[in-house]
Amino acid sequence: MIVAHVRGYRVKAEALDEHAQASWLHRIDPRAKLVGILGFVIVCALMTNSVLIFSSLVFSILFAALSQIPGKHLVKAYLGALPFILIASVSVFAFSGPERGLDMWGRTSACVVPLLVLASGTETYDLFSGLRRLHVPALITTLLMLTYKYLLLMSEELARMSVARRARGFRPAKSLLDRYGLSVLSYTAGMIFVRSSDRGERSYEGLRARGFRKEFPFWGGSRIDVPDISFMAVFLVLSTALAALQLGVVL
Amino acid sequence: MRALEIKSLTFSYDDGTLALKDLSLSVDQGEKVAIVGPNGAGKSTLLHLIAGFRTPFQGDVLVDGLRLELSTADDVRKRLGLLFQDPDDQVFMPTVEEDVAFGPRNLKLDDVEGRAMKAMRSTGTDRLAKRRPHRLSYGMKKRVAIAGILAMDPEILLLDEPTSGLDPKSRAELISFLKGMKRTMLIATHDLDAAAEIADRLVILNISPVAEGTMKELVSKKGLLEGAGLEIPQIAKLFESIRDIGYSVEWVPVTLDQAAAEFQRTVERERRRDRPNR
Repeated sequence: MIVAHVRGYRVKAEALDEHAQASWLHRIDPRAKLVGILGFVIVCALMTNSVLIFSSLVFSILFAALSQIPGKHLVKAYLGALPFILIASVSVFAFSGPERGLDMWGRTSACVVPLLVLASGTETYDLFSGLRRLHVPALITTLLMLTYKYLLLMSEELARMSVARRARGFRPAKSLLDRYGLSVLSYTAGMIFVRSSDRGERSYEGLRARGFRKEFPFWGGSRIDVPDISFMAVFLVLSTALAALQLGVVL
Repeated sequence: MRALEIKSLTFSYDDGTLALKDLSLSVDQGEKVAIVGPNGAGKSTLLHLIAGFRTPFQGDVLVDGLRLELSTADDVRKRLGLLFQDPDDQVFMPTVEEDVAFGPRNLKLDDVEGRAMKAMRSTGTDRLAKRRPHRLSYGMKKRVAIAGILAMDPEILLLDEPTSGLDPKSRAELISFLKGMKRTMLIATHDLDAAAEIADRLVILNISPVAEGTMKELVSKKGLLEGAGLEIPQIAKLFESIRDIGYSVEWVPVTLDQAAAEFQRTVERERRRDRPNR
């Protein structure tokens, strides 16, 4: 978890990278993770065979279980994505029947679970670095990094303002009729943007002051080792096998 | 050639607020100059303006002979190391070593790793190389921010409130570090004790320059610092009190070293004064 030190206060600013260090996944090169997992997700997304779909889901769950990322965290993250999965599944269920609906749930879950493991088991900046090393255009990775930084700034400002409000006895509105509570919250929402904008401006000047123009330099090691290749190979072999079975090449 | 030369500088913000008026200032190579003044005096604005972040302005700013204009701002910045008041505004990259190497990499300097390691060693952050900067204490983040600018090997350091928000130990360490550094510095601060320790010369700024001189000269002008909304250094205050109660303090020291020497001399004078009476 990123912890912002604010003149003696410790404020929870962001919980995205909380479990990255706990998992063996963070030692795998981000490029290997991106190629292996995204390849698997693409194959899963295109599958129509129910047996293969649920086999992929079992593999995804097994991968999540072996990742050393706390199950509670992954379940929470999955529950966050569940409404979107359910919208897709229920729509298909309603229009194309229960079997297709169940397939849709299995397919989307088989895609979402490894992506959640990837996001939880990798520091966000390392993911951007991996994307850049995979030759994703610098404009995109720079935009991603600056957006991420801006979101962090906003969450830090929100945390500071929340502490400041509570320190002076403010309690959040419990109903929509609490006009004072709602006016304070709406003022807070406005102030977050104003303050984040100011800090964003200063942060950008901080980057420019150190020679930044439009592209972040690479960071981290550039060597792909045996564990990275093995990780990628497991996913690519499995994805190829699933694709072959789906296309009937093997059967 | 002067390291920094500012002539008749005037700057207003977009909303019309006048931030700097008719400021002229020269800083020689290797000289350490402190810009002191109350809040809103234009100290931070001046540093950001010199780094090319506040335009347009009236007057001339020359950094190492290069005139600051929109077209030359990037080149001017290569010669400067700007330390922000809040290190969170400056520290960006995921690890300390990557953050320290950020500037040299952008400027395509040689031996990036060597520079970064040297800068981290000089600021005592080398043992934090693999740590996440945002998880460090405020004082450590400040050191990382300083390492980040030292790694760029700038000719002039622009330090915006370098001692603010630091605990006494970190503050003392930073003052001693900056004092020992042989580099041109322009320091914006309202910490007069720190300014007295680090700077060779002070400029009192309150939108326009109020006075200029060594701390000793400024303290000797009664009411000057107080009139500019500043408090005289604690050491000076102590010796003024000692003089007021009748001890033979010849001059008011402004740094710890000067105070130690003056204290010794005062004790000697008092001993000599007492001897004939025995």
